[in-house]
Amino acid sequence: MSPTEETEHLGQVLESSKDIPLIALAGAPNSGKTTLFNRLTGLRQKVANYPGVTVEKHVGELRSGDQVLADLVDLPGIHGFSARTLDEKITKDVLEGRVDGLKKPDAVVIVTDSTRLENQLMLVEQVLELNLPALLVLNMADELKGRGGSVNTNALSEKLGIEVIWTNGRTGEGTGAIIEYISRLKDNDFVPSNDIKNPTTAHKLPVLESFSKRKEAVKEAVSDAEFIPPEPSAVSGFLDSLVLHKIWGPMIFFAVVVFVFQSIFTWAVPLMDGIELLIETSGIWMSEILPDTWLKSLLVDGIWAGVGSVVVFLPQILILFLFIGILEDSGYMARAAVIADRVMYRIGLQGKAFLPLLSGYACAVPAILSARTIEDDRDRMATIFVTPFMTCSARLPVYVLLIAAFIPNEPFMGTFLNQRAGVLILLYALGIAAAIMTAFILKRTLLKAEPSTFLMELPPYRLPSVQSLGLRLLDRGKIFLLRVGKIIFAVTIVLWILTQFPRTELGPPEIEQSALGQIGHVIEPAIEPLGFDWRIGIGLITSLAAREVIVGTLGTIYGMEAADEESLDLQSALQESVSFPAAIGLLVFFAFALQCMATVATVKRETGGWKWASFQFFYMLALGYFGALIAFNIF
Amino acid sequence: MGSEIKVAKNSSTDLRLSQVQLDREVELVSIDLPDSQAEPLFERGFLPGCRICPVRSSPSGDPIVDIDGSQMALRRETADCLCVKALRDLKGK
Repeated sequence: MSPTEETEHLGQVLESSKDIPLIALAGAPNSGKTTLFNRLTGLRQKVANYPGVTVEKHVGELRSGDQVLADLVDLPGIHGFSARTLDEKITKDVLEGRVDGLKKPDAVVIVTDSTRLENQLMLVEQVLELNLPALLVLNMADELKGRGGSVNTNALSEKLGIEVIWTNGRTGEGTGAIIEYISRLKDNDFVPSNDIKNPTTAHKLPVLESFSKRKEAVKEAVSDAEFIPPEPSAVSGFLDSLVLHKIWGPMIFFAVVVFVFQSIFTWAVPLMDGIELLIETSGIWMSEILPDTWLKSLLVDGIWAGVGSVVVFLPQILILFLFIGILEDSGYMARAAVIADRVMYRIGLQGKAFLPLLSGYACAVPAILSARTIEDDRDRMATIFVTPFMTCSARLPVYVLLIAAFIPNEPFMGTFLNQRAGVLILLYALGIAAAIMTAFILKRTLLKAEPSTFLMELPPYRLPSVQSLGLRLLDRGKIFLLRVGKIIFAVTIVLWILTQFPRTELGPPEIEQSALGQIGHVIEPAIEPLGFDWRIGIGLITSLAAREVIVGTLGTIYGMEAADEESLDLQSALQESVSFPAAIGLLVFFAFALQCMATVATVKRETGGWKWASFQFFYMLALGYFGALIAFNIF
Repeated sequence: MGSEIKVAKNSSTDLRLSQVQLDREVELVSIDLPDSQAEPLFERGFLPGCRICPVRSSPSGDPIVDIDGSQMALRRETADCLCVKALRDLKGK
């Protein structure tokens, strides 16, 4: 490339990336691919979704000095291309250039964990069949050598027909060689550097034969390259003897779950209180400086309060994802899935459903996204379906308000447990029971299938890298705020408009006369059997945006400002207008009903249509309605 | 997978992975599962002729095996469908 071309190229970088080579990073989960990606791109990366699906697309710039050498795309970690998961489908589509807005990669960097080289070469073979210029990265070189393993890279390179290099993702050693490979590609104008054996042969064979063929190639490669596998890791062996121990294993598992819970409900609280205070005071401040117009009401009471109700959950989500990140990167999550599998299997789910269900206690939206690692479609569907039954944190403000108003603060079961805490625990249990029952029924009716194959690789234990954890949190936070924020934003505007019309001479109508109040009256006959009046009706409608919105709505309706769950006045107002059985019914309703548009929208995207999303919504609504009806009649 | 996969029941060679003792390496003969359920296994190297060694069991008694230097957890039910044969020369572990 001549100097003039180079400067021209630089000018285009910011505008379009058409002329910048696109390099894909592919590899198995836990191969250190993402750590390498982060090392190569630093913070110059963007996260977006692939069109139409919620699989995240991580693209970053690889720079050498101030020149952009290439765009790098970090593909999801996969084991092969049988396309059982969304991740596998996307990876294959990207590598074959079938994704809108992303050109076909000019080369693929295949990252492997060299300590498990033989097993990972199966994936390498599959990637090579796509006939892209490729570089094989043997990552975790220090670990392989430290445990007495070795491989002749020259021989391996010759055998596979592609370049092979060593790296150490943790220290960054060897990343220079990747950059060098990519810049060389650029200078050569992408002349394919590998002559792959006929790529089509393996595809045409029946499944077993095509894999046997690949395995043969792998066997030859490791023997030609004199691969000496490393001694088993003593640390991993010792940890597994504890973590997978008959007695200690489940105990450690429960300790981890309790610890994660404890932290999202205690450590997050001061942060959440802080954010709440910030939103409240800034709201007051805004209403003081803004002129008294409808715009102020929309901004302060509508958008600010509505979006604020979501931002409050950010600390909880981030803490949850910090733990999930540590558990995943360290290798414990795979063990947890193995331990949970037996119980999950009995109710019609599987071990990999453990992560989504655990995440569901913070928020169903990221939880449903994490169900993506479940290969079996029916298992994944069932997991997505029952995840919203887990008591997410948006239910808590509602529970806290109603429990404080209706359940006496008296001991229960001796001094051990307070009645209020007892009811809270029961509500959590109710959610779990509904999830178990639903999964059980689904897997015997609509999602009936042969048991799926559960196969979980247990990677060696490793120390998570701070950089990777940090970047992951950044991603998660952004996605949560954008995805949930957008929906809440839209819904709060609609709700606000409904409270403003029809206008009277004095301005906005009384809430009972507003469009929203009229809707409340319209649905009153439907909820009367549950002991709810139009006020609760409005609360139920507004809580469609997000469950906790009902707290603010009821506060507004009962004519109080800045109602929060501690407010004594709202509590006494509730006690006057809602009977005890109806309050219990309302709790049950919230335990079951899917009052969360963000979740519905996520399910729609993840399942590829309205079918499951609407079925889930109405199923949970029906369960909530009849649950409340029963509660109202027996209490 | 054709008919050669079906292994005669009750024959003396009908050893299943689920019956293999810990640390005893065996060779996979065939997978007694339909392709759709066997493919994830193929993909991870569970192919006729490969060597598998149970290294520990999960708290619920499901096997965890070593295959090509990777550790994989399976369900008993799946291990029951993997027909294996003992290797004569056992590596003393």
